[in-house]
Amino acid sequence: MTPAGGLISVLVGTVLLRLVVTGVYGRYVRIGMGPWLAVAGATVIVLGLVTLVRALRHAEPVDAHDHHRRGEGGRVGWLLLAPIAALLLVAPPTLGSFGVDRGAKVDVRAGAPVFTPLVQSGEPVRMTLLEFGQRAFDHDGASFNGAAVQLTGFVAGAEDGGFRLARYEIACCAADAAPVVLRVVGARSPARDRWVTVTGTFQPGGGEAPELAASNVVETPAPRDPYE
Amino acid sequence: MVKGVNTQGAELTEVRNDRRPRPVEPGLAGVALVVVAAALARPLLEDLLDRPAVAHWATIFVAIAVQALPFLVLGVVISAAVAALVPAGLLPRLLPSSPALAVPVAAAAGVALPGCECGSVPIAGRLVARGAPPAAALAFLLSAPAVNPVVLTATAVAFPGRPQVVFARLLASLLAATVVGLVWARSGRDELLAGVHRRRAPDGPPLAVLAATAQHDLLQAGGFLIVGAATAATLQTAVPRSVLDAVAGAGPLAFLALAALAVAMALCSEADAFVAASLTQFSLGARLAFMVVGPMVDVKLIALQAGTFGRGFALRFAPLTLAVALVVSALVAWWLL
Repeated sequence: MTPAGGLISVLVGTVLLRLVVTGVYGRYVRIGMGPWLAVAGATVIVLGLVTLVRALRHAEPVDAHDHHRRGEGGRVGWLLLAPIAALLLVAPPTLGSFGVDRGAKVDVRAGAPVFTPLVQSGEPVRMTLLEFGQRAFDHDGASFNGAAVQLTGFVAGAEDGGFRLARYEIACCAADAAPVVLRVVGARSPARDRWVTVTGTFQPGGGEAPELAASNVVETPAPRDPYE
Repeated sequence: MVKGVNTQGAELTEVRNDRRPRPVEPGLAGVALVVVAAALARPLLEDLLDRPAVAHWATIFVAIAVQALPFLVLGVVISAAVAALVPAGLLPRLLPSSPALAVPVAAAAGVALPGCECGSVPIAGRLVARGAPPAAALAFLLSAPAVNPVVLTATAVAFPGRPQVVFARLLASLLAATVVGLVWARSGRDELLAGVHRRRAPDGPPLAVLAATAQHDLLQAGGFLIVGAATAATLQTAVPRSVLDAVAGAGPLAFLALAALAVAMALCSEADAFVAASLTQFSLGARLAFMVVGPMVDVKLIALQAGTFGRGFALRFAPLTLAVALVVSALVAWWLL
């Protein structure tokens, strides 16, 4: 196992570093974890190289007797190749609309601040879907003050007279993602899971999902950090 | 490797001579083969990822693995440092000899390891291998991921304005870890941990020992992490969480439902408070159970523990921990929340 184990470690580390360099890691974990992934990747590569070199020089690993004695377990490291092989070839996409209705949505009522009113100007105000939801909840959206806002998210399905726009919040990795969902009205729905930037104004009375009356919908590539 | 330090040196040399004529290391060829096979299967992989359910599964699987790796690396490096630098026999002398004292002390020591649960498994395994009383090492294993400052801060952020949730989590996690440790000290079967005891650290200069141990633990734990990540991704993809809404708010059932969710989701303990905060249809007590059970028992941890301590151990330890964590959460919730 050991020379192969060293090679597996080098591959694991390389894939981690590649995820960081290409920025693709943002699809799986929060952006702030980048440096930790890089350190972990470099550490694993060093460990793997040390093992590989020593094993090839000495043919038999230091802890060989451990392996012979325990039999089981020594081979389990091979499983690490599964995600590695997959990631080297095709990186799974960001979470899409499939999961939007399968779990709890973000609770915009929890810990939402009281907002100061937006100022109407020519430029739309860029904001996250979370802020939009929180503002919509705070005094029924009074803080929007009629100002135009701009949001980026993915299409989570067409509806009568519009579509649902969603984006996931993550705390650590995609496994803990919870979506914020709002309704865009007054626009034709782009294809499901397409990323769009929507400009429009808050429309009161949306009920469960707050409503955005769209004035403009533009398709965009998925952002580098697809989560909020 | 330093020649001759191994007690079975003669046997080693023979094996070495035996192997030298082989042109290619079979293991290396195996790794290359897997990578080439995967490359050939690439169109198939791409087709599969076009299906939303498969893509969802793959993203969560990769996310759990990638997220856990830095913590796992930290864990195996600390564990290897213990193996290389802490003299055998020091740990038993440091801890109080009576389990009634050693177990709570070890549980409280968990405060000092900032990280999530993947890192604490190899460390606990190493502590046992270095002669720490198993009950104390297990209490540390359970408490460290839940009571460290990073996790408690995340909990405070997730539940703004409700500091009693943070305190309840700290208290319930410490209590549950201590109770499980004491139960294990009284009636646990330490012989189930024999595999860990046998795993003696390799001989040699400290740095070489450190590298060899870390590498070995990393592959061992990493492989089991993959099993756990695949299981959690499958459960998350196959079972819509909306099935839980049927039991929301219904007293004891809600506790059981959220404990089951914690086991199935295998969240990082640094993130589970945010998910707990979003489960507003459940009582605060049930959500406390979610945060107490998650860092102690989940599919990823069971796989990691089975790999580190042995399957027989994991099969007994996980149900015991789950039961204790549930009861303690209910009691603390009844008192504090």
